[in-house]
Amino acid sequence: MIMKGQKRKHPPEEVDVSDRSSPMWESQRQFVFSVSLNKYHHSQGLPEPSLRRSVLIANTLRQVSLEAFAAPSVDMEASPPPCSSSSGLLESVFTAKHHPAETFSNSHSALDEDEDWGSISTDSDFSLSAVISSILTALDSTIDGSSQAAPRTPLRSLENLPAPTDGGVGWVKQGFRGYGGGWEQQEEGRARESSTELMRCSYLSELTVEDLFQDIDSSLLEMDMGVLGLLGSGGGCPTGDDLLRYLPPFSSSPSHPFSLSLNQNLKCLPSLSSFGPLSSSSSSPTCLSSPPFSSQNHGLDLEHLMEILVES
Amino acid sequence: MGEDTDATPTLNHRGFLPDHNYVTEADIISTVEFNHTGELLATGDKGGRVVIFQREPESKTEPFSQGEYNVYSTFQSHEPEFDYLKSLEIEEKINKIRWLPQQNAAHFLLSTNDKTIKLWKVSERDKRPEGYNLKDEEGRIKDLSTVTSLQVPVLMPMDLMVEVSPRRVFANAHTYHVNSISVNSDYQTYMSADDLRINLWHLDITDRSFNIVDIKPANMEDLTEVITAAEFHPHHCNLFVYSSSKGTLRLCDMREAALCDKHSKLFEEPEDPSARSFFSEIISSVSDVKFSHSGRYLLTRDYLTAKVWDLNMESKPLETYQVHDYLRSKLCSLYENDCIFDKFECAWNGSDSVIMTGAYNNFFRMFDRNTKRDVTLEASRESSKPRAVLKPRRVCAAGGKRRKDDISVDSLDFTKKILHTAWHPNENIIAIAATNNLYIFQDKLNSEMH
Repeated sequence: MIMKGQKRKHPPEEVDVSDRSSPMWESQRQFVFSVSLNKYHHSQGLPEPSLRRSVLIANTLRQVSLEAFAAPSVDMEASPPPCSSSSGLLESVFTAKHHPAETFSNSHSALDEDEDWGSISTDSDFSLSAVISSILTALDSTIDGSSQAAPRTPLRSLENLPAPTDGGVGWVKQGFRGYGGGWEQQEEGRARESSTELMRCSYLSELTVEDLFQDIDSSLLEMDMGVLGLLGSGGGCPTGDDLLRYLPPFSSSPSHPFSLSLNQNLKCLPSLSSFGPLSSSSSSPTCLSSPPFSSQNHGLDLEHLMEILVES
Repeated sequence: MGEDTDATPTLNHRGFLPDHNYVTEADIISTVEFNHTGELLATGDKGGRVVIFQREPESKTEPFSQGEYNVYSTFQSHEPEFDYLKSLEIEEKINKIRWLPQQNAAHFLLSTNDKTIKLWKVSERDKRPEGYNLKDEEGRIKDLSTVTSLQVPVLMPMDLMVEVSPRRVFANAHTYHVNSISVNSDYQTYMSADDLRINLWHLDITDRSFNIVDIKPANMEDLTEVITAAEFHPHHCNLFVYSSSKGTLRLCDMREAALCDKHSKLFEEPEDPSARSFFSEIISSVSDVKFSHSGRYLLTRDYLTAKVWDLNMESKPLETYQVHDYLRSKLCSLYENDCIFDKFECAWNGSDSVIMTGAYNNFFRMFDRNTKRDVTLEASRESSKPRAVLKPRRVCAAGGKRRKDDISVDSLDFTKKILHTAWHPNENIIAIAATNNLYIFQDKLNSEMH
């Protein structure tokens, strides 16, 4: 049944998947989700990523995330909601996608010139779910301190990163390290497990965020602070929307290390970093109040973000 | 039908030592195609080579050697290339071969890898001129003083030599990987399809092509669907069909508009909500589409089924054949080991009464559309001695009642997949590519189509 020589994991089989209330459904959903993420990361490393395969994996990821959210009764159980954080994250991202923010037309035009890069890197860019995962990958790799040489990314999009990026990155590191130590021992909550899964998966990434940040020209960062300042001014959902605007296409071409996509992903890092450790609402306050984060001055409204997550 | 198929000797694709179990990756066959008469059979492999087999004419004296296919010519069609702009290597693997209808003594075929299509001329030379005045037999210049009379050179027979030369190279027109090529019935144009675009070429013009379908979204974030296969209608030179990864087929008419993004007909089967799973979309992705010889029907292959569509009915397929439904409960594992992304091809027989497609464990399936009977056969050395009759195989569910010789689902070998199959245009002869081996089976008892 499995390829010869491969160690057998235990995929949930024989599931009547149309039956959502079946307990197997959820475990299969999680399994598919983690496998899809793995596959996505893996395809980044392949010399010849197949566009069809990437699109199908991305669509599956998207569907799996949406279905998790579409069954709130399952997700909102008192006993730790399965994947609620990760799925909630993805879900807010996806719903936001459908509400394009007009205010960001200017900033979006900045993306247009990057489109040239996108069209050059052939098998380029698609799927928010993969974008999210690449973001999370980048996040994780800062903690991981992956020694693999990260392919350099084109610099253009890095210009759009908000100023106190280093602080943000630092905070990310700090926040995750706290988690990192506890990974092996944590037994609580499938919520934790699922976000752990996500982070574990992203160990596969070769990218280190430090490499990408090295070339930031901070003078160019100022101009986008104002833009990002709008992020927090909207209501709960719109914040997600605006975030979404920045979530770029990603490149599935590995030698173009995420090319424009991940660069643009990094724009979002400071805000996403607030999502990252929030695997369950109970643990959030500590992370948010940590000093490095509060020193960030790009106008993010943390309260709004918290509200979004709690609602989801 | 298939039950009485004889096995002709297995033809090795390469000098393959029988004791070796490993497979040289370059020898993996990636496409198989008969020409329009069935006299020639071309195979392409991962190493960029094309091998052409020719059918021996039937001889009365040796009844058993009639109609066998022997190697006719071998040539290197594509070489690995490097795209410097994207720092990507371009595989030399031959994705598709299509023959042109024969119009003179030479044969022409199109072969393509991921990026470049080439037109090859295959011609025979079996005579050479002898009796030159100025040169001797070895080609050395004669001493003029020895030439006393003039002679007219005559053509003398020589050992058959097959020459293959590239006549056209159609390059730089595809950003994405070419998955299909199809020659138009006008014999002047052909199309090439990649993941997002379809281009129309004239066979004589290599420096430009015409884009007729483009499904690339303005924002690649919105990309959710790719083109998986495309083919021209066998008789109507203005019609073509292309399939997508979402399980849809689009019939387009080139007379309607220059850019055929808008389809004339959309063939899509509504999803059965009770059969919905996380993998519904992946298994609905059409891996191959073929017009019937009559032009009236379409045959499509998705991961678990083969479907016959009537061009006049867009709402659902005419017939659905379960190729290996026992895999439906194993989709999770198949997704994990990537088998769910395998692209199986399908084929019609000459009279459009039987369809054939491959499966795992070196099994292939044939379905008779009229009698509704089907058979599973295996293409392997052990099970097919030369001239032995192929024995039908059966796959039983794990743990179910098992007859002798049945294979359980769990013991299927998923590395042995039959992705490429071809059926002779007129006779009951099929070519099956099993990894690096080519099997040719003939139905001796029922040679004529019925």
